[in-house]
This record gives sequence, structure tokens and C-alpha cells, in this order.
Amino acid sequence: MNTAIEVEGLVKVYRGGVRAVDGISFSIREREIFGFLGPNGAGKSTTIKCVIGLLRPTSGTIRVLGKDVRRDPGAVKRSIGYAAQETAVDDRLTGWENLYLQGRFYHLSRREIRHRGREVLELFGLWERRNDTADTYSGGMLKRLDIACALIHRPRILFLDEPTLGLDVQTRKTIWDYIERLRSEHGMTIFLTTHYMEEADVLSDRVAIIDRGRIVALDRPGALKAGIGGDLITVRFSTGDGLELLLRSLKALPGVREIREAQDGIHRIVVEKNGDQLIPEIVRLAQDHGIGIHSIRLKRPTLDDVYLHYTGRQIREAEGSREELIRSRVMARRIRR
Amino acid sequence: MRFLSDVWYVAWRELIKFLRAKVRVVVTLIQPLLWLGLMGNVMQGFSRSPYVQQMLGTQSYLAFMTPGIILMTVLFGGVFSGISIIWDRRIGYLEKMMAAPISRGAIPLGKMLAAAIQGGFQVLIIVLIALGLGVRFASGPAGIVLIVLIAMIFSTILSGFSLSMAVTIKTQETLMALVNFLTMPLIFTSNALFPRAAMPGWLSAIAKVNPVSYAVAPIRELILHGWNWRAMYPGIAVIAGLALAMVLFAQWMFRRATVE
Repeated sequence: MNTAIEVEGLVKVYRGGVRAVDGISFSIREREIFGFLGPNGAGKSTTIKCVIGLLRPTSGTIRVLGKDVRRDPGAVKRSIGYAAQETAVDDRLTGWENLYLQGRFYHLSRREIRHRGREVLELFGLWERRNDTADTYSGGMLKRLDIACALIHRPRILFLDEPTLGLDVQTRKTIWDYIERLRSEHGMTIFLTTHYMEEADVLSDRVAIIDRGRIVALDRPGALKAGIGGDLITVRFSTGDGLELLLRSLKALPGVREIREAQDGIHRIVVEKNGDQLIPEIVRLAQDHGIGIHSIRLKRPTLDDVYLHYTGRQIREAEGSREELIRSRVMARRIRR
Repeated sequence: MRFLSDVWYVAWRELIKFLRAKVRVVVTLIQPLLWLGLMGNVMQGFSRSPYVQQMLGTQSYLAFMTPGIILMTVLFGGVFSGISIIWDRRIGYLEKMMAAPISRGAIPLGKMLAAAIQGGFQVLIIVLIALGLGVRFASGPAGIVLIVLIAMIFSTILSGFSLSMAVTIKTQETLMALVNFLTMPLIFTSNALFPRAAMPGWLSAIAKVNPVSYAVAPIRELILHGWNWRAMYPGIAVIAGLALAMVLFAQWMFRRATVE
């Protein structure tokens, strides 16, 4: 598959001396959904803004579909779409006017806009509401309109900066569906940033964990989780004579680190990785020893655990909710007007 | 061509929003009506005195103050285009425009164009009101067209100034405060509403160099006396020169503030 984005040694130091991005390299393949996961201030937005040509990198090279962003910003801008964190919709214009304006900013003809505008508005379920001013839209509709606007010039790569920030869980899931469909039905490459673990986990083919301007881990979500190991299998055995022997042979299984005993026959088996593959083995051994199993449960590490593992911290919810608070206030103000 | 189209669509957005904000449109129409109707009529009493008439250079105070009201309206409108760019920055629209392949310079220029078109529309209304109140335009319909043009050029100075300030000021409240602080003194230290002959020496000296006075001169000439190019061209030249300087200044400030 072809490379869509190639970033090498990206460094961005702001005028005040803040080193927002500190030597980042990665590449994204076409048709990939690539997630940038990190807390606020980790350098996610700065990286996006450098890649789409809004910010000038301090050093490093960025290629988008083979074109150097600094040498050919016009061509790069035309081949990408960008929906910012702030949901930049003009709420005193109608949905259609927002879209029309965006089309004009990309130098499309009236005819192209009419044609494609309908296409994207229908795709995002906004066609019926196109002639209402955007201040009558819900938060989720505004975000959908924003993404629709970013698609009017049929970009090959879509950049979504915190696409579901401040939206409720239901709306968040609808937005995920739309993003997933853009890739599966329209073959788009999608670069998204988020500080929601679940979002990165559900949507991305690969996730880069970014912390203090550096990528600390980059892989498929599953591989990241497997990488830090530590699956936990909780089994409740029926008590019986063979239990001692069974535990001994369980301990001898490859990958089993330790078995902790709790009351009522509950045992916690810590496994290095691939605990799911161990379950049939456990069941078989229990049968061999004449021990019944009441319940069996597998807990795998989450991206939260991965994040904790690599950064030594948890994504601080306090930070996220502060930003959400500000954002929801801005939204509320815009909706009220 | 692309550049012009970019400028136009930046302006188009502002104009749609202006027309959609009906209260704003109504207010911009009522304000000049109040000024001309109330103050103009009150002052009309004074202008019966031959001494006052000599200072005004006309028998009608209404005709004298019409250029002042025109410029005052345009001044307020122009200055507020800075507000729109601060708003755009806040909601992320500015960034959205800059992520598109439009020319950066088209953004401030489009805002200035919008302010000028709005101003031109308002001036036309003021002219109609003035005609209704009995002001005679000595230069005829062609003169009215030139008056609208001069007012539009004048608005560019103010919108350029407010845009330049807006890129560094960043909060609407501060910009509003600055704007309010500047506009009233600008009007009252010019000969927009009162003749320089009636001013104390120091004020008259300020009024002489006040750009508002330069814009007043050709407009007043067109209303009171007609086509007298000799009396009009210095004012037009100064206004056009300032407008051009402000366009360039705003472009420079905008580029400086957005390239990082």
C-alpha cells in the first residue's frame, strides 16, 4: 500500500520557546485510520497543524502523498481536509451556506459545489436541514456539518482534531460510525487525534501514544495491549481432591506467571500474554483432574494500562473535563444566540 | 482571478451575516435618522443667524452636518470589522480559512471590502434621509455616487486599522474599549459636525490634520457647492493614500500574526 503521510524528525518550537513537538517520526499508509493519543498539551494539534501547513515546523520533513508540505503547500492543502477541534462552523449561516463557502475557498465551481454538496450532506444526514441556520443545530449536527465541509473538495486524507470533544456518548458513537464509513466506503485515509482511550481503541488501525512532544509507543491497539502483557484470568473452580494437583499443572503451563488464590475457589491466574488462548487448556486440565468450573473470566489490559505503562501517568481526566467545560460553554453560548 | 474570488467570498460571508442580523440593519438606519432629525433640526435654529451661516458656509446646518453623519456612520461600521476577525479566531473559522488554499491576504481584504460595501449601503440610506429632510445636493446624482465612493474609501482606513489592532489584541472587549476610546474624539476633533471657524485655536489645529476632516472636505464640497475639483482633490488624495497605507499595513500585520 502507498504511503499517505511521512513525517521525519518533526520539531516545533513556538516563539515563546515552548517545545511542543520534540522529534516525531511516523508514516501513515493510504486507507489507514491513524490515531494520535495523548493528553492535552502533548503536541497532537501542533503536529496536525504542521502536517497540514498551518504551522511552519522548526525542523524535520513532512511529505503528504509524496509532496513536501513546505515546498508545495497549495497541492497539499487541496488533497487534504481538516476539521479542527473547535468545530469551525459559522452558526449564522445555513448548513448549505457553510458548505458553499468552503467549496468556494477550495475554488470549486458552482456546479461542483451543488453536486458534491448534496452528496456530503446526504452522507452525513443533514440534507433536510440544509437551509436552516447552523445555530439551530445540535452539537453532533454541527460536528457532522464541520466534517462534511472538510470533504467538499474530495480530499484523499482527512484530519480530525479531537472529533468528538465535548459530545455525549451517543453522539460520539454516531460520529465514529461516520468516520468508519468514510474509510470503508470512500477509501479515505484518516488521521485523528484524541484523548479518549476508547476512541483511539475502537477507530484506529494503529495508535501513536504521544507524550510531551514525543511518540512513546506506536502500533496496532491490540499489539500495544499485548505488548505490555499481564492478561488476568479469573476462574472459580469447584473444590475437590484434584484441585492441588490441577493448580500445580496449571502453574507449569507456558506463559503463566503466578496463581493467586482467593476464597470460594476463586483463583486469579496472571498470564504474560494471550490469555484467551490459554482458556481451552485450563478447561481441559480441569476436566482431566475432575474439577468443575463455575465461571471463567478474562481481563485484558486496556489502552489505559498501555498509556500508564509508557508514560508513567494516566491521561488526567481533570484536564480533559476542563477543556470540555470550556468547549461546552462556547457551544451553549452559540446555541443560545 | 482566484485572489479576487477569495476576497469576494470572505466579504460575501460578512454581508450575508449583516443582512441576516435584522436588528443591526435597523439600528444602522435609525441612528443617522436620529442624528439628522434631532440634532440637525435643533441646530437649524442657530443657522438662521447670518454670522453662523458665514461660519458654516451655508444656510442649512442640516446640509453642513450631512457629511459628518455619513462619516460617523462609516467610521463605526469600519471599526467593527476587527471584531469579526477576533470572533473568527475564537470559533476556529480563521484557521479553517487558512487551512484552505486561499491567499492569506484575501482574508483581511475581504473583511475590508465587506465593511466598505456595508458602509456604502448605509451612506446611500443617509443620503435618502437627508434628501427627505430637504438637503439639496449641489453636485446632483453623479455627486452622490462620488460621495458614496469617498465614504467607502474612508471606511477602508478604519476597517484596516481595526483589523490591524485585532490581530494583536485578541479579545473583543479590549478592542471595543479601544474603538470607543478613539471614535468619538476622532469625530469631535474634526470639522464633521462643527465648523473650524467656531473652534478655539488648539482644536482648530487638530481638526485641520484630522483625517476625518480630509474626508469631510470633498463630501461637503459636493453637497454645498458642486463639482469643484480644486477644493476636492487634496482630501480625496489624502484619504486614498491613507486607505492604501492601511490596506498594506493590515496585510502586513495579518501575515505577521498568522505565520508561525
